[in-house]
Amino acid sequence: MSNKVLKIDYEKCTGCRLCELVCAVKHDQVSNPARSRIRVVKWEAEGIYIPMACQQCEDAPCVNACPAKALTRNQEMGRVELDYDICIGCRTCVSVCPFGAMHFVPADRKVIKCDLCGGEPQCVRFCDVQAIQFVDEGEINREKGRAAAKRLRTAEGQAAALL
Amino acid sequence: MAMKRKIAFIDLSTGKIETQAISEKIRRKFIGGRGLDSYLLYNHTEKGCDPLGPGNTLMISGGFLTATLASATARTHIMAKSPLTGLLGSANMGGFFAPELAWAGFHHLVIKGKAEKPVYIYIHNGEIEIRDATALWGQTTTETQWSIREELGDEEIKSLVIGQAGENLVRYANVMTGIKNSGGRTGMGCVMGSKNLKAVAVRGTMDINIAQPIEALEYNKKFIEQITSSKVNQTQGTLGTPFIWGATNSWGGIRTRNFQYNQCENADEIEPEAIDDIATETIGPHHMTGCFGCQVHCRAQYKITSGPYAGKYDEGPEYTSQGAFGGEPDCKKAETVLVGNHLVNQYGVDNLEIGSIISWAMELFEKGILTTEQTDGLDLSFGNDEALLEMVHRICLRKGWLGDVLANGGIPASETIGQDSFSYLIQVKGMSNLHSDERATPALALNIATSSRGSDHLRSRPAIDLYHLPEKVLHKIYGSPVPYEGKLSSEHTAYEGKPWQVYWQENCYMAVDCLGICKYHTVFLGPTLPNFEDWPKVIKYNTGLDFTPKEIWDVAVRCNMLERLFNLREGLTRDDLKKGDTLNHRYYDEPCQRGAPDVVGSTIDREKFKKMIDEFYLHKGLDNNGIPTPERLVKLGLGDEPSHLL
Amino acid sequence: MSADDQTLSTAESLRKTRTYGKFRCHNPSCMGRLQPEAGEGQVKCPECKMEYRVHWIRPDFPRIRGPVWDVNRKLAEAALKKKLEEK
Repeated sequence: MSNKVLKIDYEKCTGCRLCELVCAVKHDQVSNPARSRIRVVKWEAEGIYIPMACQQCEDAPCVNACPAKALTRNQEMGRVELDYDICIGCRTCVSVCPFGAMHFVPADRKVIKCDLCGGEPQCVRFCDVQAIQFVDEGEINREKGRAAAKRLRTAEGQAAALL
Repeated sequence: MAMKRKIAFIDLSTGKIETQAISEKIRRKFIGGRGLDSYLLYNHTEKGCDPLGPGNTLMISGGFLTATLASATARTHIMAKSPLTGLLGSANMGGFFAPELAWAGFHHLVIKGKAEKPVYIYIHNGEIEIRDATALWGQTTTETQWSIREELGDEEIKSLVIGQAGENLVRYANVMTGIKNSGGRTGMGCVMGSKNLKAVAVRGTMDINIAQPIEALEYNKKFIEQITSSKVNQTQGTLGTPFIWGATNSWGGIRTRNFQYNQCENADEIEPEAIDDIATETIGPHHMTGCFGCQVHCRAQYKITSGPYAGKYDEGPEYTSQGAFGGEPDCKKAETVLVGNHLVNQYGVDNLEIGSIISWAMELFEKGILTTEQTDGLDLSFGNDEALLEMVHRICLRKGWLGDVLANGGIPASETIGQDSFSYLIQVKGMSNLHSDERATPALALNIATSSRGSDHLRSRPAIDLYHLPEKVLHKIYGSPVPYEGKLSSEHTAYEGKPWQVYWQENCYMAVDCLGICKYHTVFLGPTLPNFEDWPKVIKYNTGLDFTPKEIWDVAVRCNMLERLFNLREGLTRDDLKKGDTLNHRYYDEPCQRGAPDVVGSTIDREKFKKMIDEFYLHKGLDNNGIPTPERLVKLGLGDEPSHLL
Repeated sequence: MSADDQTLSTAESLRKTRTYGKFRCHNPSCMGRLQPEAGEGQVKCPECKMEYRVHWIRPDFPRIRGPVWDVNRKLAEAALKKKLEEK
């Protein structure tokens, strides 16, 4: 069984933050990046931009730490889900998430996390440079593998030319 | 919703701060951004005020659609009376500042008075604070931004700052945010410096309601496709704006050696593709970045590869830096363009103005009007890369006799230097021309001669005039939302029909500046990009307000008239070579020496050009002296200005 | 036009006129359509004889990189001479 996950290639990210905007509008019908489930972390002085979102971990620290068991892993869908009926708003998940991908929205007094828009992530749909892709979890490394192989192939070619 | 964003009046002399809602009535009349700023400028400055005195008022604003789900609406607009021209001062920039200002609760800031010591304004979720900036004074534009973040302990703060050029009251100092986003023209950074205002820092997490979120999301998707599928934006997204310089240089439409030639020959090293190669080598294949929410990503990232600045990271260069540090001074080294771009970004000065002024000084040096004694020994010859960069330092720091003189702007400098130096100064209304040469293109010449902020290509340039579009297509674009039955010509050399095109573009650009949209997302470089007919949906879905294309047009006409009223109040007269709708005599007297066979030999015909201006005035509702007719003012609802609605 | 109008705007309707793979000559009034062979580095305008270096944005998307300097300079000099003689 295989599920789709977000694959983030930060080298492609232009830092425009449209993903944050569409995420907030999709989930909360307002423009406000402080409500986005995905956040672009920037080192502007070096021109480095890295979108950070929930990794839907297998052995998720947020799930393990949640005292109310509001966070569960949906094995069938391959996602970590949050049940607001159970959530007590203690923000433990926010503290333990190793990616800083759990967020607390002060205005609503609630925790938010990426739900992959129920299968059609808007961040992916709007990212024209494809820095965020929605791919089969077994295929995340395919593009990187091909790129590395291509470098190797070029190097082999150059080495062969020296013989 | 966007309608709830407020206006803040901040008096730096007294520390008094007031905020006010912006009514729907105001929105309907001026929309926002530059349009509303022009109203505020007219109403909040006294006739003849000293641009560097406390009586000048500085407007900082986001567009009406900024921070909504409308594509590429990150523009910040800055307005005041210009210390460079003594007329309308106006600058527009991208980046991330304006959306953050909107999330912090504001669309417009009106900054008055003068602080006793260096200060910066901090705006956070509706709260406004004036803070001490003594420690920031003297810092570069990026240092200032990072220092503010450190002081306030928030990495997400976006600041709009000045560098040393603004502190030293260089008349064309700019306002900057991020690495290279610049409100470049007319010396708005100098106005900030004169007010002891080092920066405006903002941070906001307040909601902006979207009127019809689902429709807004879906329409934005469609809108983005319309924008990114255009060839011009696909080129921009790969090569950035340098592609414009490259293309224009190819046929002979740029200035080089000040205004002696119209093509920089064998400049292969500073061609866009060559600069792109450097960006690829130093940053990687994905070296393009952009402004908030924009999918065009037209801004390159690079590192300087050699010389004293080797390893420094910067962004750009835009085509203006190619012109300023490449074509105009006839310097053909990529490193010079990249370093020049880095220096102006760090000092906070208009690259276009400083490049033009140095090239002017180079021609004066060549002609013996400026001597080695006046340059403090500097060999200010064309093509001298080191002298060019040294002059950037001297001007920004007001070092040496010439550095100090040139920092005052072209016209004052020409008065100090004397002889016939003024006749070589390529300016309109006291502001230097872009690095472009408009002798072969009367429509473009009309644009720079009549632009409200002095010579400028982003006010009314019908750039698509060069594409030789069929007349049928021209009528389709320029015949809406107001019918136009007159002639339109596909021929770039024609004089007929062009005044309407310039008038239409003037209104189109005003409309995008009111809405906060980037000009690359409208009919500027590409005919298939959105214009009046496309905006009502964007406005409706995001703000809930109904506007027809004609109503948007009417607002633009009104706001352009307000800018005209301001300029007339501050001394614009039609034929004034320093403050009028005029061109340097070389446009008429010296034929193009280089370029394509259809370009060489071109000059502007004085008589025909005069008629063009007459016709342009007629469209605008001005008499032959360039003064609005009372009927037109009444029709536009401007019969009683200043009306002090805000 | 209301916001709900489904008809295409001018900008939208002009989209179908876009063409890839070719560009126009940079000699303003000539504007001959040039269509370089895939990957070709140089192209000559059949109308006005100007020559250009070609850059490929994408394999299907060429643009003019710049003039072939010596060729185009000669054409310009000849044109200027002729124009000055006519005056």
